[in-house]
Amino acid sequence: MKQLVSAPALFVEAGICLILGLLLAFLYAPVDASTMGYSQKIFFYHAPIAETALVAFSVAFVAAILYLRSQDPKWDRLGVVCVRLGLLFSVLVMATGMIWGKAAWGTWWDWEPRLTTFLLVCFLYVAYFVLRSAVEEEQRRATYAAIFAIIAFIDVPITFFATRFLPAGMHPTVITIGGTGMPGSMFVSFFISMIGMTLLLVALIRRDLGVEELKDRVADLKNTIGG
Amino acid sequence: MAILRKDLIRELRTREMLISMILFVLLAMVIFHYAFTVKEGADLTYFTGGMLWVTFIFAMLLGLNRSFAQEKDERCLDGLLLCPVDRVTIFLAKTAGNLIFLLIVQVVAVPVFTLFFVQRSYVADLLPFVVVLLLADVGICALGTLLATISMNTRSRDLLLPIIFLPLIVPVLIAATGATTLIFAEGAGLGGLLARVLFLLGFDVVFIVAAYGTYDFAIGE
Repeated sequence: MKQLVSAPALFVEAGICLILGLLLAFLYAPVDASTMGYSQKIFFYHAPIAETALVAFSVAFVAAILYLRSQDPKWDRLGVVCVRLGLLFSVLVMATGMIWGKAAWGTWWDWEPRLTTFLLVCFLYVAYFVLRSAVEEEQRRATYAAIFAIIAFIDVPITFFATRFLPAGMHPTVITIGGTGMPGSMFVSFFISMIGMTLLLVALIRRDLGVEELKDRVADLKNTIGG
Repeated sequence: MAILRKDLIRELRTREMLISMILFVLLAMVIFHYAFTVKEGADLTYFTGGMLWVTFIFAMLLGLNRSFAQEKDERCLDGLLLCPVDRVTIFLAKTAGNLIFLLIVQVVAVPVFTLFFVQRSYVADLLPFVVVLLLADVGICALGTLLATISMNTRSRDLLLPIIFLPLIVPVLIAATGATTLIFAEGAGLGGLLARVLFLLGFDVVFIVAAYGTYDFAIGE
């Protein structure tokens, strides 16, 4: 039972990677040569968090499809956990993005494709929880949540594409198909931070899954006693 | 087809939904006029596209809620579900019905908005305008019908629909508003709107397919 709710090894590994990434970012990677200077260091957290949020939503998307196919509640649990964590990471992306925006561009907010898309992502996945709370019957709740998770996930890239129709923004494109546009030392630090953040996500998913399973088990036990 | 006919006949007999939707549109126009006339003789041409699409989307929300509330209240939906038709047929019929209502609303709203707000003639660009209108409408109705089916089966019903519908419809709003504004204000032809038109087409295809795949689950047992 205890095993279910804690995955300490993963947390430790994630922590080591994140701290190492941070140290490398400040001590090894060069200070940004353009106007940004030290404020660019937040990039080593900002971008990995964004990547992790997208990973979480992708897993939720796959879990939703698997749920609709199998009606197995374990996929619903995975979906909820991933959406919840994805939402948390999205809020962090916005927060770090705004701090960086203030430092680099002199403004907290810019109606720019990526920021705007993440704002909508937040609204979408908050709506996911509103939807869940509005349905009482368990199976129906899981089904609707899965449908919504699928549609929301499809909508995100479309929204991102649509925001390109708006007047251009200031966000740089760092990683393109041609390469990363980063010096090697910067890339190493970035890569380690990214691994750390992804490990953290996996650790959190495992822990939350354990919690959700326990919740279900408690509910079952209550029903048994009550019934 | 029969479901579509039933919805249309029902509406034509009572006219309650259409009348309130059209009234809503006219009232929205008056409200927008007061909200946006920031100084004497301000030219609102650049805002008209945005006003129109905001109005259509909110009018559609009203319509979507009604179209399923009726089914639910009178337990008509149970009857529909007992019919020996594919569930997806119900989706297509409902979408078509909503599309027709939206088009009727637009037939009233567009000339009125144009008359009051647009200060140059766009008769020459009527064709691209109609294309944009139809493509955006299909997207709004397909996605709206799917989400309304979900929301009517929940506890909060009409309260939930805007919360799940509005964030999802933003891409259509961006593309349609941009295209309409270009037509109204700058007289862009179909060539200048190509990217947006293709985008709207893509949106329609993606969400009709997505709704097609999930509607069976949405409408329930």
